[in-house]
Amino acid sequence: MSSLLARFAENIFWIGRYVERAESMARLLHTTETYARNAPEGSEWQRVLDLYKDGTRFVDARGEVTAQSVANFYFLDRENPSSIICSIRYARENARSVRHLLSTEMWTQLNIFHAEMGELKSRDIQSPKLSEALKSIIIKCQAFEGIAEGTFLRSEPWCFYEMGKYIERGDQTTRTLDMGFDRLQVSEADPVASVHWNVLLRSLAGYHAYRSCHPAGSSPTDIATFLLHNTEFPRSVARCIGRVSERLGDVERIHQGYSSEAVEKTRRTLEFSLGTGPGGNFTSNSLHKFLDQLQTELGSLSNGIANAYFNYEEQAS
Amino acid sequence: MGFDSTELVIGDTNKASGLLAGYDAGGYFCELHGLGELAHTRAILDKLNALDLKALRQRSKDADQELFNLGITFTVYSDRMAIDRILPFDVVPRVLSKQDWATIESGVTQRIAALNLFLHDIYHDGHILNDGIIPRDLVTGNENYRPEMKGVDLPHGTYIHICGTDIVRNGEGKFQVLEDNGRTPSGVSYVVENRHIMMRAFPDLADGVAIADVDQYGERLMRSLSTVAPDGMDNPEVVVLSPGIFNSAYFEHVFLAREMGVPLVEGRDLVVENDRVSMKTTSGLSPVHVIYRRIDDDFLDPLAFNPDSALGVPGLFEAYRKGNVNLANAVGTGVADDKAVYAYVPRIIRYYLNEEPILDNVPTNICREPEGLALTLDNLENLVMKPVGESGGYGVVIGPRAPKSELNAVRAKIKADPANYISQPVVDLSVCPTLVSGGLEPRHVDLRPFALTGESTWVLPGGLSRVALKSGSLVVNSSQGGGSKDTWVLV
Repeated sequence: MSSLLARFAENIFWIGRYVERAESMARLLHTTETYARNAPEGSEWQRVLDLYKDGTRFVDARGEVTAQSVANFYFLDRENPSSIICSIRYARENARSVRHLLSTEMWTQLNIFHAEMGELKSRDIQSPKLSEALKSIIIKCQAFEGIAEGTFLRSEPWCFYEMGKYIERGDQTTRTLDMGFDRLQVSEADPVASVHWNVLLRSLAGYHAYRSCHPAGSSPTDIATFLLHNTEFPRSVARCIGRVSERLGDVERIHQGYSSEAVEKTRRTLEFSLGTGPGGNFTSNSLHKFLDQLQTELGSLSNGIANAYFNYEEQAS
Repeated sequence: MGFDSTELVIGDTNKASGLLAGYDAGGYFCELHGLGELAHTRAILDKLNALDLKALRQRSKDADQELFNLGITFTVYSDRMAIDRILPFDVVPRVLSKQDWATIESGVTQRIAALNLFLHDIYHDGHILNDGIIPRDLVTGNENYRPEMKGVDLPHGTYIHICGTDIVRNGEGKFQVLEDNGRTPSGVSYVVENRHIMMRAFPDLADGVAIADVDQYGERLMRSLSTVAPDGMDNPEVVVLSPGIFNSAYFEHVFLAREMGVPLVEGRDLVVENDRVSMKTTSGLSPVHVIYRRIDDDFLDPLAFNPDSALGVPGLFEAYRKGNVNLANAVGTGVADDKAVYAYVPRIIRYYLNEEPILDNVPTNICREPEGLALTLDNLENLVMKPVGESGGYGVVIGPRAPKSELNAVRAKIKADPANYISQPVVDLSVCPTLVSGGLEPRHVDLRPFALTGESTWVLPGGLSRVALKSGSLVVNSSQGGGSKDTWVLV
């Protein structure tokens, strides 16, 4: 039997999600910054707002769409729950609640990371410093991940940490692909197309990985297929879902065979959707719909896990 | 009895040069120098004296940074921001000789034994009240007295499982008890963490000095709590119950749970069914047997006590009363560490144990008694006046240092509600060299050793030495500008 408190499982799940979310946001902003160098003022940054459906909220809070205003909104805005600073704050708040279950190294790194975020001022993330500041976020998130890998006891808490991390990562890969694919389509015949492919792949740390699988030539469909299905690539959607499945299996073993049918059903649906997909050559529209579906199903899986393992009120009855 | 046997060595004067060259304890008893020199601190003083002030400051800064990084902090909330602060840590250790420690250890053990017998008695037959040793209404009329506890039998008759007795040292170097903290004494995490930081920042200072280990606290606590599980269970599930992350002592709750390797729960994680307590896990309900609660009596159970408490667990008290779960500390211990009952503790010791107290009280006037009231009102400017219902140093007026207006105000308050006050002479609290902006200067300190009681009592060899960082200040409470020091018990 498990003696992991339901609330702790939830806290740990969200530590995984929030650190991953901070890293993804930093990657996305970094990519946007790269694209924006060759684009009209504000247009690339508008895409980020569209991707997160934040357009109205942003205009209400910040007004004009500029590189500086959008970067601030998603990096340092304490009022914006999807900003990097909020993700790190939430990760640390969750970590405080389960501090006694984490290794000292994990806690200390996150605590210092959080304190350093608090020191950052708007001027520290202005171009040309923005790129360095984002890289630094990515490295600190990766440091946390590495410390967890090297110090976190492989018991039930670890399972929930990984579930949170990989659900978030899968979700973010679909979002990055969604935004990037649009660009690839528009510019396929364009001489700068290859630049765009590279940026998309690099934003997911996948350029070399992709090249090693596709030494020559490139098509938007190849890239999309790689990011969705390549199980060797650590950020592919297939790999992320695989990791979540493995951890669910571990939890089932820890619970001596007990598992949630509802979670299993959602997980299979997701695997099936990913496996079948729209097939053939993606169009911008078909891919967009497909990615939307994957995001919805990842959300259902996350909710299913919450209901089965965190929602102790229902379970107690 | 009651004298500590600190060795005084007369002869050698202070070192003419070095870090401590200009140090003057100002006539107070110094923890490192005594009233002249102490044999047991000589080696440590030599090392301290040889340190360079700049290097000392740097190491002190590093130690602060490390405490901050480790999250050994309390959080101050303002409108939008949550600011983390460390409890100021002073790098000069406070050193206790083997003999000092023997006095404290036996004195604290004796006191807790008497207080546990007292609590059992007043919640059962009340012999001490019938025999007129302590006024009945002082006990049963006390706001911390819990009539609900009458007739409840606890494993080994232990009520105060964890105690943090506040001890001061007077001008002659004699230890005196200032307060018995028998509810939820905090600070033990600092005892252990201060030692870790100290050993990392100043390994050289402790080199060749044999110091008692404080690391075994968690293990001891776990063992102690296991022995008071219901019906002598073999592998009881122990948990720490915290009000949550917004509590100022949250770091300590984390520390306790980590050191014992048990869950750190909040009220919402527990549920009572059929008078049995369980915690909500990822695979359903799992039984709980011993709860080290860091929540006051009032908030424990909305069905039994404060109905508005959102921190507590409905039905917990009934499960406790039926003996299905044990709580540490017991419900209703507040009556034993009350400032008014405190004055009677020497008599309580004599009554139950037929022994003289090993540690004396600070002499105390009880304003509810006509004699004590008269003495207090006649000597306000020489006494320390304390409201009995407050903790954390709030409402305390130090006569010799208070302006006339403050004395008049407290006089009015005492006259209006004499039972709410006690008074004590100003204790010439001992001092210890402390790193401040001017270098090493004397600052007043107290001592809170931590004692664990299951079947028997064990005292952690060390303790929290709180230090008043302001020059001349006698108030060591962390809420009022106090810091802490590592406390070395020599073996």
